[in-house]
Formats: sequence, C-alpha cells, structure tokens
Amino acid sequence: MSAVLSATPPVLAAIGLMLVNGVVLIYMLRKVLGHLHLRLGPMHVGPKGIVQTTADVLKLLSKEDIKPNGVDRWMYVLAPVIVFVPSLMAYAALPFSETLRITRLDTGLLYTFAVLSLVPLGVIMAGWSSANKYALIGALRAAAQQVAYEVPLLLSVLPVVMIVGSLDLGEIVAFQTGVWMGVVPRWFVLLLLPSFVIFMISALCELNQTPFDMSEAESELVSGFATEYSSMKFGLIFLSEFSNSFVISALAVTLFFGGWTLPFVPESILVPIAPIVFVTKTYIGIFVFMWIRGTLPRVRIDHLMNLGWKWLIPTSLAWLMLVGVVVKLVAPGGVG
Amino acid sequence: MWGKGIITGMRITMRNMLRGPITVKYPYEKLELPERARWAVAPTYDEEGRPKCTACMACIRACPDHILDLEVTTREDKSKHIEHYSYEIGACMMCGLCVEACPFDAIEMSHDYELARIDPAELTYALLAHVDAAPAKRARPAAEPKPDPAEPAPAVPAEPAGEEAADE
Amino acid sequence: MTDLRDTVLTHALQAEGTFGPGKAPAGIKRIPKGVDGLATEHLVVNIGPQHPSTHGVLRLVAELDGEEVVNVEVAVGYLHRGIEKLGEHRRYHQLGTLMDRGDYVSGIHCELAAALATEQLLDVEVPPKAQWLRSLMGEINRIASHMVWFGTFGLDIGAMGQFLYAMREREALVDVLESVTGQRMMFNYVRPGGVLDDITPDAEQKLRTFMRTIDAYIDEHHALLGGNEIFQKRVRGVGIIDRDTALSFALTGANLRASGIPYDVRRDKPYSAYGELDFDVPLGATGDAWDRYLVRMEEMRQAARMIGQCIDGLPEGDVMAKVPKVLRPPAGEVYACVESPRGEVGVHLVSDGSDTPYRFHYRAPSLFAMQVLEEIIPGNLLADAIMLVGSVDIVLGEIDR
Repeated sequence: MSAVLSATPPVLAAIGLMLVNGVVLIYMLRKVLGHLHLRLGPMHVGPKGIVQTTADVLKLLSKEDIKPNGVDRWMYVLAPVIVFVPSLMAYAALPFSETLRITRLDTGLLYTFAVLSLVPLGVIMAGWSSANKYALIGALRAAAQQVAYEVPLLLSVLPVVMIVGSLDLGEIVAFQTGVWMGVVPRWFVLLLLPSFVIFMISALCELNQTPFDMSEAESELVSGFATEYSSMKFGLIFLSEFSNSFVISALAVTLFFGGWTLPFVPESILVPIAPIVFVTKTYIGIFVFMWIRGTLPRVRIDHLMNLGWKWLIPTSLAWLMLVGVVVKLVAPGGVG
Repeated sequence: MWGKGIITGMRITMRNMLRGPITVKYPYEKLELPERARWAVAPTYDEEGRPKCTACMACIRACPDHILDLEVTTREDKSKHIEHYSYEIGACMMCGLCVEACPFDAIEMSHDYELARIDPAELTYALLAHVDAAPAKRARPAAEPKPDPAEPAPAVPAEPAGEEAADE
Repeated sequence: MTDLRDTVLTHALQAEGTFGPGKAPAGIKRIPKGVDGLATEHLVVNIGPQHPSTHGVLRLVAELDGEEVVNVEVAVGYLHRGIEKLGEHRRYHQLGTLMDRGDYVSGIHCELAAALATEQLLDVEVPPKAQWLRSLMGEINRIASHMVWFGTFGLDIGAMGQFLYAMREREALVDVLESVTGQRMMFNYVRPGGVLDDITPDAEQKLRTFMRTIDAYIDEHHALLGGNEIFQKRVRGVGIIDRDTALSFALTGANLRASGIPYDVRRDKPYSAYGELDFDVPLGATGDAWDRYLVRMEEMRQAARMIGQCIDGLPEGDVMAKVPKVLRPPAGEVYACVESPRGEVGVHLVSDGSDTPYRFHYRAPSLFAMQVLEEIIPGNLLADAIMLVGSVDIVLGEIDR
C-alpha cells in the first residue's frame, strides 16, 4: 500500500507536466508558425493571446461528443485511450536532473521506445474504426510509416548505448558531462553525428510531423485518421501528439545534447537549475521541429518507404558496425 | 550535397520570421483606402445640404444588375420629388457604372466597406427618401443649354451694329 | 496554328533524370490481382467539392487501388452562374463586369478579351496610352495570379511558409491595382475603347518600389520551394503531358509551353502594347510538373521585366477613345483572344445590331487543363493527384462560368 502511495505524487506530477506541456506547446506552435508565416498568431484572448489554449480546451470540453453511425463502438472509444496512455507512460524514465525523475529505470531507453511504439496501434484503431474512407487511408499510411521507422529509431541510438554501456538515461547524461580539450563539450551529437541525423529523421516520422505527416495531410485528407473524432476524444489524440513531441525532443536532448548538464557551469550552480536547463533544451528542440514543420513540403508515401527501408536502415546498421569496431579497438576493456 | 536546398529553405523562413509580421491588426488598425476605391454607393449633397440628384434615371439604366430603383412624383410645376431611391447593397457588385453614368455627380462610390448586417432586410435601403430632387438646370452650369427646336433660331450677334458704329 | 518560330530559352529548363513516356513513377510495384489468393477491391473516393485544396469547387471521383489512382473522373458545375446567358442581357460595356468574375484571379485579361472583341466589332482604334496601360495592368495581374498559383501549389504539397510569402508579394500588387482601378479583384477597368482612368502618381511610386525587390523575392521563393529536394522529388517526372496530348486537349498557356510547344498569344498574335515590348517566352522540355513550375516562375520574371518597360515607356494622351455611351456594333461575329496567366482566354461575340450581344461565349483555358487531368492522374498516387491539380493551375470560376 505504501508503495502505491509513494508512487502517486510522481505519477500526478507526470500528468500535470503533460497537461501543462500540452497547453504551452499548442500556444507555442501557433505563435511560432504564425511568425514564420509573417503573421502574429493568437493575440486576442489574454495578453498576447496567452489564454488562447485554455479557451480552446474549454471549448473542446464543451463540444458535443459525436459518435458517427457505423463506427465500431468499442474500438472507436478505445483508440484515443490507446494513443494517449503510452504517451503518458513515456515520461517515466526522463531524467530532469540527477535526482529528479518519475522513476529510476535501468532500462529507461528501451522502456521509452517500447512504450512509444504502442501509439501506432492506437492510430490504426482510430482510422479503422471510423467509418470513413479518408480516415482509413490516413490510418494505413500511419501504420506503414510509424511501424517502419521504429527500426532506424532504435538502431540509431544503439551506438550511444554501446559507448555508455548502459540503457539508463541518467547514466547516458552523466557520461556527457565535462569537456574535451577544454573547449568541446562531450555531447554525443558531435561524436555521433550520423546517429543524430538518423534519429531526427526517424523521430519526425514517429511524430507524424511535416515533412512526414502524410497520415494527417491536411490538404489531402482533412484530418487523416482523426477526422471523425470530436470533443475530448480528439483532445486526447491531439494532446498525445504534443506530448510525444516533448518526449522525443527530451530523448534527443538526453541522448545527444547532454541532458540537464551544461559544459562550463560548475556543479553548485548547475544542480538547482538542472530541470530548467533540461526543459529549455527540450523546448529549443521542439522549436526546431516547428520550424521544420513551417518550412518543408510533405514527402510522398513511397518516397518515405524508400527512405526508411532502403536508406536509413542500412545506413544505421553500417554506422552501428563501424562504431562497434572503433569502440572495441579504442577501448578494448569497455568504456566506463 | 543532398539536403542543401532544405537547409537554405529553413534559413529563408528564419530570415522572414525575424523580419517581423506584415499583418494589420484589423479592426484596431485600419488601412487607408486609395482615393479611387469603390465601395458602397452614397448620394452627394451641395453646399446647402440638398441632394444633387435630379431624378434623371441614368443610373437606373446603367446598373447591370438592376439594383437601383427610383420612385419619383412630378408636381404641376415640373419639379420632381424623390419618394424612394432604393439601393440593394446585398446585390451590388461595386462596378461603379452608375456613378460613371450620372451626369450630375449626384452619387459617388464611398469608402464605406463595413457593410455587414445581421438582418438581410437591412441590405436593401434607401439612398434618398422624401426629398425634393434638384432641378436639372441648376446643377449643370457648364453645359450649353440645347436649342429648343420649337423656338426660332437665336438672333445673329449684332455685328452689323458694331460695324455701323465703327463706320460712324 | 500560327507559324511556330524558334523561341529563346532563358534558362536551361531541361529536367534531368525524368521518366520516359510511361506514366508510372518509380518505386510502385503493381501486385497483380489474385496473387496468393489475395482478393482486392478498388476504393472509390470523392475528393471535393468541399476540400481544402481543390482550387474552387471541383469534384474528383477517384478510384483507388491502395494508394494508386486507377481512374479519375472530373465533375464540375458547382460554380455555374450562367455568365454566358447573362451576357446576352448586358450591354457591351457591361460585359467586362461578367468576365471579371469568370477567372477571378486574372480579371484584367478577361475584361480585355471582351473589350477587344467589342472593339473589333465596332472597328474602334484604341489610343496608345490605353494600350500601354492595358499591358501594364495585365502584367501586374499576371504576377499576382502566378503568386496565387505558387502559394496554393506549395500548400497542396504541404509547405505552408511560402504561401504567405507569395501573398505578401501579391498584396503589394493588389494595392497598386486598387490605387489605379478602384477595386482589388473585380476591376471593371478595361472598357471597349480604352481604359477607365490613368495611373496615379501614387500607384506609380508603389510600382517602382515593388520593382526594386521583386526579382530578389522571386529568387527567394524559388530557393524556398523549388530548391527543396523533397519538392523536387515529388514534382520531377510526375504528370508528364507530352506534345501530342497537349495539342489534342487544346491546352494553352504555361501548360502547353511546358510541353515544348512555343505558342504565346502575346507574341504570335500581338495585341495592346505587346508588339513593342521586349520579352522572352520560356519553354519547357518534357511537360512534367517541374517544367510547368519552372515556366511559370520564369513568366513572373518576364512579367516584371515588362512592367519596368511599361512604366518607363508610357506614352502621353487619352485613355479612352471616343465611343458612344450605348454601343451598337453592326451585326457580325468576332473571336478575340488574349494570353491570361492560365492560357488563351477567348471571347466569341456574335452581334445582331442591337445593344446587347446575340451570343457571348467565353473560351476558358482552365476547362481544357482540367480535362487533361483525367489523362495524367491515373497511374499516380493520391498525393500526386492533388499536386497535379495544383500544377495545371485551374480556376473553377472559369471552368463553370
């Protein structure tokens, strides 16, 4: 019983973080896209439109919950839940600082990827159960895309795991503290740049973000797999999407950009502000995602499949082998 | 290098983002319309505040969509009284042909573009109602009065008298 | 067909690595039906008439085999307003207001076609200043219309940024048009006999400011969208319209020139001031969507060049010939055509001597461009279908009239 009680505050914190994150990210997305497009974004509701997302959430809550005729009832209701819950679970292993985590998992990285790979299941269920051809097309595209890119996503981070020797996200961050030659921070993005590039591309595919947002291609399929959803079910799917982008960006920051560490700042200053550093870096990553979203056109589904199967997987395998050989040669006794 | 175009594109959007937005915060800020802008038709008035319209019906004939309609009563002294000069702004396409057709500059294309109404019945309203039409002669001072074919031809100017005077 | 002279290529528009005459893009393997006992079925999907990107109210009934479009049928008529019938009840100087609303994005060219037809029937000579003003406004409208095409083409492919950048350019031009004609879109500016009014100094100032930056902006737009590798991969080699198809479908304008046939009404049957202006007509090589894109981008640059020449070379004089208030052309029929941004806009006018036409026919280039879609879309993916609708640049107002 006490285990459940002691586990409740972190879980509530995770839920709270997810909700706050959703609110902030929706506003940030609209503002960033607006400014990229020479316009202002929300300005009306609250000073500079800050209260806009709250108004939107209240609107979503007050909408009629429509269930179209002909949908597969249980799958239709369950699909948003299956999309949402893994996104929440993925927060569990993220290291906000040395000591601040939802829970300490030895297999944090594997757990996060495993949980995130449940989201495509929910997407397919959502598209299939809506009695709508466009939703079906969107769901099948998502199935092909998200399932295919799970492989390069994981393969590209294996070099990181090989060098660090552990799947624990905290260990990976700890490995990246300090500097080389007094100047260059020991971040993996500099050491393993191809891994980072492959990870970024696969991450964009997993998140269904432009340039890989075929499953919600607005100019073709209106809303893709989520077309037939309204009110809070749509809200859950939407929230899960933003939450995923936070998780993936946080993973990128953890794996490649040193997590909550900063290279030249002494420990005493760093430890209290570590969560802030972590969240700031994550949000910079999310800003880059939004920047890409506002600029690039959409990739066609067969080009995407080609890219994934014919280019990313062989490249990440080759890179993995190369890193393995180098690690064995350079540090035959194992890296710390 | 593959990907160079993508990176250039991203630099372009960032550059545009830093240039700042170009939008106008309507309705708090409104742009000024150029002089020739054509929006709702409005009647014009002379210095004493009387409408310049003489009820000549040129605009009624000029309108392609038959939006204008003028009800006029003529008194015994040939002066006209405009009962109702109705204008269907809901159907008007602001082509300006009525204003071009008016010989008296009695209507103009105003700059009023905030024309939305809640009740569709309000989209047909009267430009002028229950006013006296301006007399045609007064409003056209520059035009030559046309010779009436019933009258005899005007007298030849008194040149012979001048010559006679010079001869004297 | 007019005599096809050699044209000048201003850029190397030869696309590299395009496909041969077949229509299927690389990477699509068609699984024959009945393989491994797998029974499949074609999905019939309605794209439109309410759709975020069908350039108006166009309905495409697409038969899909997975993602590939096997057959497409175009259904139009959702925007029919009876323009040709209404034209029989309008006087000749009011026909411009009807033509404006056909191709609403390029109103000057459509009004010009009607005015040219009426002038040919009346045998009226238009003063030179009006001719130059018509060309000037026409080229301004050409850039504005191509900006709409450019923005919506990118939107169809998924890029959102350049739509608003194109609208920024268009806004400057539409401001100029508003200063001169009085309205942003339905100009009613070109009349039989001339134009409505002269260009104002204010508008000329705005134009000169615009001219200073337009070339740099067009280069920026080309770098943003055309330079993008994802865009190029989606657009190169897709939707090839070969010469025979283009000719048999009576395509005109950029669609025809991208297929390699050098026909431009401004050069081959000059009207207004085009005989005296110096411009090149870009020509494509293969007729795929990439060539159509390049041809239109180059047309924008040439239009900017012509605007510069028109502002500097504007002659003095009247803007309107002496025409009676109510036009009564003698009985006869005439066909007058102009080069609008979409192709050859023509007006076939039959007069019976009264003050309204007997028959008023509006030849819309988008109608033929839309028909060629049924030829080029099958064999491509659904995503390409949307992209191809954007690449042939149709406006539904013209198609349905």
